Amino acid sequence: MITEKVKKQLTSIVGKANATFTAEDLICYAYDATNKSYRPEGVLFAGTASEVSEILKLANVEGFFVVPRGAGTGFTGGSLPVKGGIVLSLERMTKVLDIDRENLTATVEPGVIPWELGQALAPLGLFYPPDPTSYKFSTIGGNIAENAGGPSAVKYGVTRDYILSLEVVLPRGEIIRTGTKTMKGVVGYDLTRLLVGSEGTLGVVTEATLRLLPLPESKKTLLAVFPGLMAAAGTVADITGAGIIPATLEIMDPASVKCATEFTGSTLAEDSALLLIEVDGTAESVEKDSESIKKIAFDGGASEVRSAFEKKEVKDLWKTRRAMSAALFRLKPNKINEDVVVPRSRIADLIKGIREITDRSGLLIVSFGHAGDGNIHVNIMYDKNDANESEAAEKAVAEVFELTLGLGGTISGEHGVGTSKAKYIGMELSSETLCLMKGIKKVFDPQGILNPGKIFPSHEEEGYERAGVVR
Amino acid sequence: MKRLASLAGDLNKCVKCGTCRSICPTFRVIGRESAAARGKLSLIRAYINGDMGLGDDYLRHIKECTMCGGCRDSCPAGVDTVRIINAARAEHVEKEGVSFAASFMMKNLLDYKGVMPRALRYVSKFRGLLFKDSPTENGLVSRFSLPVIGCGRLVPELAGTFFLDTAEAKTLDAAPDINEAKVAFYSGCGVNFLMPDVGLKSIKALEKSGPVLVPGAQVCCGMPAYYSGDVETAKKLAIKNIKVFESYDLDYIITSCATCSHALKNVFKDIIAETGDKALMERAGKFAAKVRDITEFLPIKSPSALTEGQDENQSAGGKKTVVTYHDPCHLNRNQGIRDAPRDLIKSRTDLEFKEMRFPCSCCGLGGGLAMNNYELSVKITERKADSIRDSEADIVATACPGCIVQLRDGLHKYGVKAKVVHVVDLL
Repeated sequence: MITEKVKKQLTSIVGKANATFTAEDLICYAYDATNKSYRPEGVLFAGTASEVSEILKLANVEGFFVVPRGAGTGFTGGSLPVKGGIVLSLERMTKVLDIDRENLTATVEPGVIPWELGQALAPLGLFYPPDPTSYKFSTIGGNIAENAGGPSAVKYGVTRDYILSLEVVLPRGEIIRTGTKTMKGVVGYDLTRLLVGSEGTLGVVTEATLRLLPLPESKKTLLAVFPGLMAAAGTVADITGAGIIPATLEIMDPASVKCATEFTGSTLAEDSALLLIEVDGTAESVEKDSESIKKIAFDGGASEVRSAFEKKEVKDLWKTRRAMSAALFRLKPNKINEDVVVPRSRIADLIKGIREITDRSGLLIVSFGHAGDGNIHVNIMYDKNDANESEAAEKAVAEVFELTLGLGGTISGEHGVGTSKAKYIGMELSSETLCLMKGIKKVFDPQGILNPGKIFPSHEEEGYERAGVVR
Repeated sequence: MKRLASLAGDLNKCVKCGTCRSICPTFRVIGRESAAARGKLSLIRAYINGDMGLGDDYLRHIKECTMCGGCRDSCPAGVDTVRIINAARAEHVEKEGVSFAASFMMKNLLDYKGVMPRALRYVSKFRGLLFKDSPTENGLVSRFSLPVIGCGRLVPELAGTFFLDTAEAKTLDAAPDINEAKVAFYSGCGVNFLMPDVGLKSIKALEKSGPVLVPGAQVCCGMPAYYSGDVETAKKLAIKNIKVFESYDLDYIITSCATCSHALKNVFKDIIAETGDKALMERAGKFAAKVRDITEFLPIKSPSALTEGQDENQSAGGKKTVVTYHDPCHLNRNQGIRDAPRDLIKSRTDLEFKEMRFPCSCCGLGGGLAMNNYELSVKITERKADSIRDSEADIVATACPGCIVQLRDGLHKYGVKAKVVHVVDLL
């Protein structure tokens, strides 16, 4: 419980307008994109690193939990106050502090939305490549915490590949800077990489210096239609095998194509699997690559390759792809959304294995995703009010993970562990690795006040909590 | 609670993905979760479940919405938040009633033959006490901080003669060839009280393809009442309008107000469906099928209206006047009409059409927001004003008197020079 006295202290740190304890606001900051709800005891909207620092110092003294939050659009519960406490929202910190055209960097506050940054960069001929599907509404701070990736990862990599330096408030309130604003830098441990993807458990990012790239001169989108999913999956590895790295290479299975066409009213053949491919570069290289890809796609069994898209059609298609994850709820009320990754060459094996699991479980399993980097979103659809379906879904998850790990992959490519995958973490990480990670958490946050209940399986976390916070 | 409870299933479809945060004009200004659709839906769900009463904060949140429909259109899960928020507002009215002032205004102002419109005519004579004429803009600037209106706000001037009282409109109501007219004009409050010129120009354009009828007994479309949650008043007005127009043998009912065309086409049917009265629903359906917004009607039915008498005098320097277009939410999002008004503008070859950035972002007026929270409403207009400034347009055309009022005020406030007109003003 957060006492009235503590509430007053918190209010004086951020100012009256930026602290709220009303039921209305607590309800609105209880959830994220997992659609789970845990009501916090208060919400603070921090404006500076020193405010964040004071809040965390007070949390250590008074023994309450602090859960950092960007836009609350994560898929694994990273910003859920599962054990109560204060939600620390960074969405008020939305300034782009600097765009350095000579050094190709941008320095931003954590609440900046990637799309908005893109709007500021495009007129300068620059771009910030990480493009999570939520790039129009998630925050860069949240992207950093989750090490978010997106369709362009196949060519451009993920968030961590573009973070040069961070200003971070550590759980005990110290404000530090990690990394350098230079392209190179090897002094000391790479704390930047440790913090990126730490899911808000090791510190609160209050400023980030990002690496930028020049916008490619030309871009082209291709849509390859395949009569079945296996042919599409096989073609993915053929394309990269031919030495072509598209900017994006997305796959959609027949079930997701059907769902997408219903959403946008597009005219795609319903029973087909699709590859959505984008190539960028110079006008000549784009032409050459798209010709090669067309040939590879036809060789791989494509029935049709569309290229001369109307701009609107490309937009609709991407809108569809970006809306897919939420649109699936039109098929079934509940969904377990896994974002497994396998080496590109094993995608066909993964797809085949998933089909076997689908047949065995009797469930609807929808697969789509960033095939180009081996990252497939496996969506297990079910109705949680149906005991049989729920049980089958749980079982299917474990089977998908076993399959993935057996193919040399990982159980999460970009969503993180959070609360959703904590219980499966032991399938991928050895007990020695987990022990080291928990040790790191303890060095950063000895009292366990920052974003509790995430990443590590709960019974262990509870034990850890007993040894730490006095409540 | 019945109305709201029946939407619980729709409400539960929200999976809180957060897409609504990217499009909501209110959220863009407020920056708090309670402003975005998923926040409002969570609050309404809490109310339905009995976890939340009709407190001030709750009511403020459900009123802070322009009902633009951006969240509904971009929602991957297909949640119609506009409908749900409106049901929540109606629930409030059902529980606590309409305020006396609002009820008096709705009941009297909205009937064009009622007491208020007559009183307004006299009020307009004394406007100098409270307002000064704007030297540059089309309208009046308030001298003091007035209740509801505030200080320094550019408010539209009440017409000297209301549209339905103009000789032209009256003649058309009593025309001898009235039985031949297959097209009727619906004015709506904006055109009637504030912009009779838009009505007269609309009729002129429509008459090129045949006689036009203007029923004098028509009343307000009811949207102000509907959006404030007073569904009963909206229903009465809907039924009255249906009765007035069905007494003629018409093919089309045309209006120059995007909000009215949305109301007449869509909202009337919705409100009347609630009654469960099959015969009435059928009449509402027949009525709605005849309604066209003038921007969609003219290019098809009256193409000659576009080119006739076009002034080819390009200014001496050779630089054409630049026109941009603002999409009214009620036209674009609720009726899917985007190209037609642009085509009308482009038919003026002596003008240069230039698209602004974010043409379909809301002007900020709608959903009763300009009345409930003027400050927030005009802050929403700032983004629009920026887009218009950046477009370097001389003229902003749109197709809704409400948007025109808001844009004139907003451009005045943010120092943007462009002139705001209705698309029919350009014909």
